[in-house]
Amino acid sequence: MSEQPTIRAVDVHKRFGTIEVLKGVSFEVHRGSVVSMIGASGSGKSTLLRCINHLETPTSGDILIDGESLCFRGGTGSERRPRPLAEINRMRRDLGIVFQQFNLWPHMTVLGNVIEAPIRVRGLARKEAIALGEACLARVHLGEKAIEYPARLSGGQQQRVAIARALAMQPKVMLFDEPTSSLDPELTDEVLGVMRELANDGTTMIVVTHEMGFAREVSDRVMFLHNGLIEEEGLPAEIFSAPKSERFRQFISKHLRPAS
Amino acid sequence: MSESLQQALDVSVFWEYRTVLLRGLAVNVYVFAAAAVLALGIGLGAALLRVNRFRALRWIGTLHVEIFRNAPDYIMVVWVHFVLPLLIGYVIHRRFELHPFVSAVIGLGFVYSGYFAETFRAGIEAVPIAHIEAGRSCGMSERLILWRIVLPQVVRRMLPESINQFISLFKATTIVSLIAVPDLMYQVSMITQQEMRPLPLYTGAALTYFAVILLAGSGLRALSERWRRKIYA
Amino acid sequence: MGNWERLVWNQRDALASGLAVTVEICAIAFVIAVLGGLVLCLVRMYVKPLRPFAIVLIEFFRATPILVQLLWVNYVWPPIFGWPDSFFAAAWAALAVQSSGYLAETFRGGIEAIPRGQLEAAYSAGMSPVRAFWRIVVPQVTLSTAPSIVNQFTVIVKSSTLVSVITVQDLMFQSQKIVNIWYEPIEILTATAAIYIVFIFLVSVAGKSLADLLRRRYGIAAA
Repeated sequence: MSEQPTIRAVDVHKRFGTIEVLKGVSFEVHRGSVVSMIGASGSGKSTLLRCINHLETPTSGDILIDGESLCFRGGTGSERRPRPLAEINRMRRDLGIVFQQFNLWPHMTVLGNVIEAPIRVRGLARKEAIALGEACLARVHLGEKAIEYPARLSGGQQQRVAIARALAMQPKVMLFDEPTSSLDPELTDEVLGVMRELANDGTTMIVVTHEMGFAREVSDRVMFLHNGLIEEEGLPAEIFSAPKSERFRQFISKHLRPAS
Repeated sequence: MSESLQQALDVSVFWEYRTVLLRGLAVNVYVFAAAAVLALGIGLGAALLRVNRFRALRWIGTLHVEIFRNAPDYIMVVWVHFVLPLLIGYVIHRRFELHPFVSAVIGLGFVYSGYFAETFRAGIEAVPIAHIEAGRSCGMSERLILWRIVLPQVVRRMLPESINQFISLFKATTIVSLIAVPDLMYQVSMITQQEMRPLPLYTGAALTYFAVILLAGSGLRALSERWRRKIYA
Repeated sequence: MGNWERLVWNQRDALASGLAVTVEICAIAFVIAVLGGLVLCLVRMYVKPLRPFAIVLIEFFRATPILVQLLWVNYVWPPIFGWPDSFFAAAWAALAVQSSGYLAETFRGGIEAIPRGQLEAAYSAGMSPVRAFWRIVVPQVTLSTAPSIVNQFTVIVKSSTLVSVITVQDLMFQSQKIVNIWYEPIEILTATAAIYIVFIFLVSVAGKSLADLLRRRYGIAAA
C-alpha cells in the first residue's frame, strides 16, 4: 500500500458555534478498501463524512483527494487560499454520497434522477447517460423501475436508486451516511446486500453505519469515533474480538448482535 | 410626479377628519365582529354536517360549503340586501326591508361560513382517530367527545389558518360602503366629494388598513403561537 | 317572479359582454400577478439590499382591502406615475397588486419547503447553486404551488365584482344596470350570482384535481 491514499484526512477539526464536534481526526483510505465508521450519536462520524465532500467545511485541517487538497488551493506554501466553490464542485464529481434520507428528486423519474448529474455536470450525451444509468440501475437490481417516480418506490428501493445515482458519476470513492437508518429492518437487508456487492467489486467505500454486522463482515477496516476523535481503529476481526479501549468495549456490548 | 407624490403623502387632511374616520373604522369592526360570529357558528355547523354519518347530511353540508365558498362577497351582500327582502316579503305577504348593516352581516357571515367550514373540517379530520377511540373506550358520549376532545384540538390546530380568514373578513367589510353603511371607506368617499382631494384621502385609507391589519395580525399571531405552544411544545 | 325570460334571457347580450370584460380583466390580472409575485418573491429572498423594500410591498399588498386598492390605483397612481390611463387598466392593475402579494408568499413557502437534503444531493454531485435551483427547486415549486395559483385566480374573479366601482362595465355592472332599468332584482341578481358561483366552482374543482394529481403521481404536497 505504498501508493497514494485515495482519501486522506489531516487533523480535521470542526466547530459549530461553541461546540467542537471534531477534535483532530486523521486517517487514510486506500483504493479498493471499505472503511466503516461507527460510534454513538454525537460522536462526529456523520460530520466527518460530510467534511469529506465539503458539505461541511472543516474549521481547521484538510482533506486530500488523491493528494489534492479539497479545502485549499495553492499548495502548502504562502499562496495557500481557501478553495472556491467552483473548484470544490469539480472535485465533488469524484465523490459519490448516499444519504440517510435518500434525497431523491421527486419530480424526476428514477432514471431521470440517475442521469441528471452525468448529463448536467459531466456533460455526457443523453444517449450515453441513459445507457450508463440503466447499467447502474441494473447493478442495484432496479432496472425495471427506470420509468417510475420515486414516490411509488419503497424505502429500500429508493435508497438503492440513490446508490445508483451516486454510482452513475463513476466516483473514486462512495460515501455512505447511515444509509439504512431510515429503513425498516426488512428493507435494510436489500440495501446492505447491494453494498456488499459493491464492496466485492472493489469499490472504495467509507460507510458511517449502525449496522455492526456489516461493519464486521464487509469492511477492511473499522474506525470507532467517540467525542470527535478516533478512539480505536483496526481490522474488524481484531478489534471486535479484542477491543483495546473500555468505551469501545461498552459500545460493542450494547450494539453488537450475537454472531449468526 | 413628485408634487403629486407629496400631495398623496400629505395626510394632514386625513388627520383633520380623524374622528369621523375613526367612527367609520368602528363600523367596520362592528360588521366584522357580527359577521365573524355568524360565520363561525354556521361554519362549525356545516363542518359537522360534512363529517356526519348520514350521507344526506354530508351532502347538505357540502352543498352549503360549495355555494358560499365560491360566491363573491359583493354579489352575496347585494343579493341579501335587494333580493332576500323581496323573497321574505312574498312569504309573509308584507313589505320587508333589511337594514344594510344587517344585510352586510348576513351576506359576509354566510360567505365566510363556507371558508370556516372547510377550515374546521380539515381540523376535525386531522384529529387522530386514536384520541376519539380512547374517549369511546372510557364510555364518553359522542357529544362529550366532540366538545372535550375534538373541538379543543381543532381550535388550536386551525388557529393560524383562521386568523388569515379573519383578516380577509375584516378586509371584506369595506364592501358595506357600497350599500351606504357609514364605514371608513364610505366616510372617505363623502369627504372626498367635499374636499376634492382624493390623493391623500385614499392613500390615508390604504395606510390605515395597512397599519390596523399589520398590528392586529401580528398581535393575534403572537398570542396564538404562545397559546398553541402549550400543547405542541 | 316568473320573469326569467324577459329579465335574464333577453338581456343575454349585455350580460355576455359584461362577462367578457370580467374574463379579460381577470386573465390579464392573473398573468401580471404571477409575474409580479415571482419577482417580489425572488427579490425578497435573494436580493439582500432590496429585501426590506420587497417585504414592505408584499405586506402592504396583502393587508389592504381590494376596494381600497382599486380606488388607490385608480385615483392616486395616475397623477404620480402617469398610469393607469384607463379604468380598465386600473382594474386589472389593482387585482394584480392584490394577488401578487399573496403569490409572493406562496412561492416563498414552496421554495422553503424543498428539503435541504435534495439540494445537498445536488451539490454533492457537483452542481452549482444556480443550476441546482433551476433543475431541482423550480420544477418542484411550479408543481407544488400550482393549486394555490389556481386558487388565487378564483380570488381574482371574486374581487373583480368590485370593479364596477370605477365604472368598468363587467358582469356586475351590467346586471346592476338591468336592475336599475327594470327595478326587478330577483331574477337578474340570482342569475348573476349563479353564474359567478358556477364559474368559480369549476375553477376550484380544476385546482383540486390538480392538487390530487400532484400528490398521487409525484408525492408532492401542495404548498
